[in-house]
Amino acid sequence: MRAARQPRDLHPVAWWVWAIGLAAAASFTTNPFTLLLLVGAAALVVTLRRSDQPWAGSFRIYVWLGVAIVVIRVLFRLVLGGAYPGTVLLDLPEIPLPDAAAGIVLLGPVTREALLAGLYDGLRLATIVICIGAANALANPKRLLRSVPPALYEIGTALVVAVTVLPQFADSVRRVRAAQGLRAGATGRVGRLHRFLVPVLEDAIDRSLAMAAGMDARGYGRAAGLTMAERRRTGALMVLGLCGLCIGTYAVLDSTAPRVLAAPMLVLGVLLAMAGLLSAGRRVERSRYRADRWQWPELVVMAGGLGAGVLGWWVGEQEITIAYPDLVAVPTVSLAVLAGIALAVAGGLTAPPAATAASRAGRSAVFA
Amino acid sequence: MSATSRAVPLSRRSAAVLGLASLAGLMMLVWPLLLRVPEGTRVDPPFLFLVLLPVIVAVVLAEVSEGGLDPRVLAILGVLSAVNALARALSPGLAGVELVFFLLVLAGRVFGPGFGFVLGCTSLFASALMTAGVGPWLPYQMLVSAWVGMGAGLLPRRLRGRAEIAALAVYGVVAAYLFGMLMNLSSWPFLLGVYVPGHESSLAFVPGAPLGDNLRTFGVYTLLTSTGGWDTIRAVTNVVAIVVLGPTVLSTLRRASRRALVTGEIAARPVL
Repeated sequence: MRAARQPRDLHPVAWWVWAIGLAAAASFTTNPFTLLLLVGAAALVVTLRRSDQPWAGSFRIYVWLGVAIVVIRVLFRLVLGGAYPGTVLLDLPEIPLPDAAAGIVLLGPVTREALLAGLYDGLRLATIVICIGAANALANPKRLLRSVPPALYEIGTALVVAVTVLPQFADSVRRVRAAQGLRAGATGRVGRLHRFLVPVLEDAIDRSLAMAAGMDARGYGRAAGLTMAERRRTGALMVLGLCGLCIGTYAVLDSTAPRVLAAPMLVLGVLLAMAGLLSAGRRVERSRYRADRWQWPELVVMAGGLGAGVLGWWVGEQEITIAYPDLVAVPTVSLAVLAGIALAVAGGLTAPPAATAASRAGRSAVFA
Repeated sequence: MSATSRAVPLSRRSAAVLGLASLAGLMMLVWPLLLRVPEGTRVDPPFLFLVLLPVIVAVVLAEVSEGGLDPRVLAILGVLSAVNALARALSPGLAGVELVFFLLVLAGRVFGPGFGFVLGCTSLFASALMTAGVGPWLPYQMLVSAWVGMGAGLLPRRLRGRAEIAALAVYGVVAAYLFGMLMNLSSWPFLLGVYVPGHESSLAFVPGAPLGDNLRTFGVYTLLTSTGGWDTIRAVTNVVAIVVLGPTVLSTLRRASRRALVTGEIAARPVL
């Protein structure tokens, strides 16, 4: 019980599920207080649980991105305000554009309601972006790549190659430059670029083919073959699942279609597609080196995020005036909203503190 | 079929899965133009699609790699994704110049549509992972750039020499504008909001309005926000990069593809 809460990296999938739960909760409301509370929850957990790795600093970028989204949204309301009824705050002159531009009117009277509508809607998108940013800052991307489903094993391997091969380019560039410094060659701009780019690219491809030979020698790609019937079942599941998704998407958009084709069809399509992915993954047999283990904090973190999402959905369905507040009154929050936020924070803080340089050093000192 | 289109073979079943997934993805991209709701209902942007699109992309990738990929193809896929991600990371520093499509188009051309599709997905995903830039926009970007790579592989194969470069340059321009437009279409209602009955807000998406009206509003929006700037810069970069570096990079890639795709059989010979 105690060991699970020692400083360590939480399973990245748990962080992603937690963040997606928060983002889902945000998508069901335009209440600015709920949204700000969600942002606060995400920021609190990120501050207390992030590691000292380079990706942990990315949260700040997402927050600025969120601010930019809100500003853009409000500016659009200001410039393209049109006639939005309500209390006029600022009476700007109207600039009608020619008919070819869809009869758009620039500027015009700025009403409090127009600004608030822009602010609320922008805040919702910004909150979703910031919640996803929290996952980016908390989850280790390299470990995330190791937990791709088996059906995407090859694609995951290609991505691991892509992420690990990057530092080699710097080395490649240095060697090519050093070699070219020793002899004459093209001096024109384009000529120099060719002279530089082709060897670097060739070098990269040479190395990759050498690595492929190494992978081949170590038995990569000796997948357990599936029988014809199994492959046919995989294909049928995938095709049927995608058909279900196509029909469901269309029915969700066109409300004149029977409702049975909308949400139930989407659920069916997703289930079939998942079954197809599982079935396709059965051909890959591999062992994992030091697999990330699922322990109880992982489950609690996921439950916290999902609980917040479910409560957000419930508020959106049952307490419409709180989820989508009127623009003329001060928005309020309910007990359910606060419970959702509390779940999100409590779930996130159940995670053990991240392993930092200091904690790692302390640990090795204990073992030494 | 020439040897070069076998990098990631597309069986008839894979083609069907790809087609269906593209259809579903396209519907999720252009949803504002398909939406039909009764008067006066509240319309929210369908955040649901942000969750569904990754599932669709995963299914296609699983199907395309279902027969198992050759390690050499896989290694080249990884390296080219890394180069693309690097180009993307460098691009914002060069005053909005986007270098992502250049190698994607050339590699799709050399290695075929299946490889182009997968490379489009992996490049964008790798660059998002490296810059910690995973966001709701990622699945859309992955899907559309996968189409860009696949389309390059579907160009007529017999073109060679200058005609080939010219065709690729034209394709680069079309791809740049289409990419910008589709990305705008997917983000338009999210960024600008949805028209609320009784409240005028020009340039916002009006649910249930005739297709022509919404298309016109969107046309003005995309023209104002990006066609003049970003998209044109991206198109010009594509053309310049393809014309200047295209021939050399193409021959480099073709050499690599010959080495990566050569397969032989060892026939048993009677011992003398």
